[in-house]
Amino acid sequence: MDDRRHRFEVLVLPHLDAAYRFARWLSHSPTDADEVVQQAILHAFRGFESLRGSDVKAWLLAIVRACHLTALKQHQRRVAVPLPQEQDVQDGEVVVAVTPDPESNTTDRDEERILDRLISALPQAHREIMVLREVEEMNYREIATVINVPIGTVMSRLARARAALKFHWMQEAKREIHAVR
Amino acid sequence: MQCAEWLRIHAYFDGEGDVIGAGNIERHLERCAECSALLEDLNNVRTALRLDLTFASIPSALRARIMRSLDEESGVKSTRLSWVGRNTWRPRPFWQCALSGGGGAAIAASIAFFLLAPRLSNPMLDELVSAHVRSLMPDHLIDVVSTDQHTVKPWFAGHADVSPEVADFAPQGYRLIGGRADYFDHQRAAVVVYQHGSHLINVFSWAATKDRLPQGTTRNGYHLAFWKVGNLAYCAVSDTAWDELLGLQRLLQNLGVHEIGSH
Repeated sequence: MDDRRHRFEVLVLPHLDAAYRFARWLSHSPTDADEVVQQAILHAFRGFESLRGSDVKAWLLAIVRACHLTALKQHQRRVAVPLPQEQDVQDGEVVVAVTPDPESNTTDRDEERILDRLISALPQAHREIMVLREVEEMNYREIATVINVPIGTVMSRLARARAALKFHWMQEAKREIHAVR
Repeated sequence: MQCAEWLRIHAYFDGEGDVIGAGNIERHLERCAECSALLEDLNNVRTALRLDLTFASIPSALRARIMRSLDEESGVKSTRLSWVGRNTWRPRPFWQCALSGGGGAAIAASIAFFLLAPRLSNPMLDELVSAHVRSLMPDHLIDVVSTDQHTVKPWFAGHADVSPEVADFAPQGYRLIGGRADYFDHQRAAVVVYQHGSHLINVFSWAATKDRLPQGTTRNGYHLAFWKVGNLAYCAVSDTAWDELLGLQRLLQNLGVHEIGSH
């Protein structure tokens, strides 16, 4: 194995799980996510020289996000009609409906997992920032790198995303109370 | 009306104190009931999220596809199993090097297993064998590498839903090599990894339900032994011989009984 490949495996591949998780949260379906991760790793490998500094995870997730956006555009061109804003809501349902194979049972979307479902239903800007902060536990600077916005925007967008999640969660709770009555 | 400091409370909550001046915020929190309620709320939501969100690992088949595409990209002649062979000299953690030279073969066998094995009938057995085989893939075995039970056990507190018995049985031939969290039966199961000769044994543990545990069984060459201690269900999975697997089960059961008795 050449030296470049070796360095890539040591530096980048430890973040493969994070890349996969992020792609799953972004994509319409597990199949799309698989495709996005594969593309992203290949891009990362080809552009490995462009990696500066030590923030490998943020660098890789930024590539995953770029690949997702490219795939999304291609998808939109294919269907000719632009997807409506509510696509994110459908997103969650698509993920729920897929039967996982035994290996991917870690990605099971259980109906019981309300917050999981509510985050899936958030618009992408809110969903991705919640996932980067609460699942990947990245700090504001890293998140800013991934989604390519200033740190101040990370702060305000994250606060709004949390408020949105809280709102939907309360709605859900109210619905449940009504259902019991 | 929302307190004007609400944004800064979020940043403070996220440990971004230097961005916003943590000292000022703490003084503000002492005075502002609305903001202290917000902070408490943020804490509650985060706790709920940690319990609720799924933390997936990449499926091993996809990982294998990616490794093959890297091979093609870096000009390595790619045959169907070429990347498997290279596992023998890919950099890897010490525990893998510590295994006998059959490591590459074991990984090859586990891939063959994925390709060839039919779905097993009992979903629990299916999940356990699948999780065991997955753990044999590169970098999947261990999240916390330690031969010290006092390191492994506390690690589970933040990473799994249960806290199983952990002990090093090196004198009896079962060396503790680490622990891992695995998603299983809709919870984050704790997995303790032992090495016995050249074999690895995964001991899964999860909060037991009312359902009866399956009988000990053998699937695709892997033995599965089940037992319960208190409200914890355990399953040891390995390709080691039955007697040796049951030996570890006995050691762990005695440990559990002893601990329950002593409290």
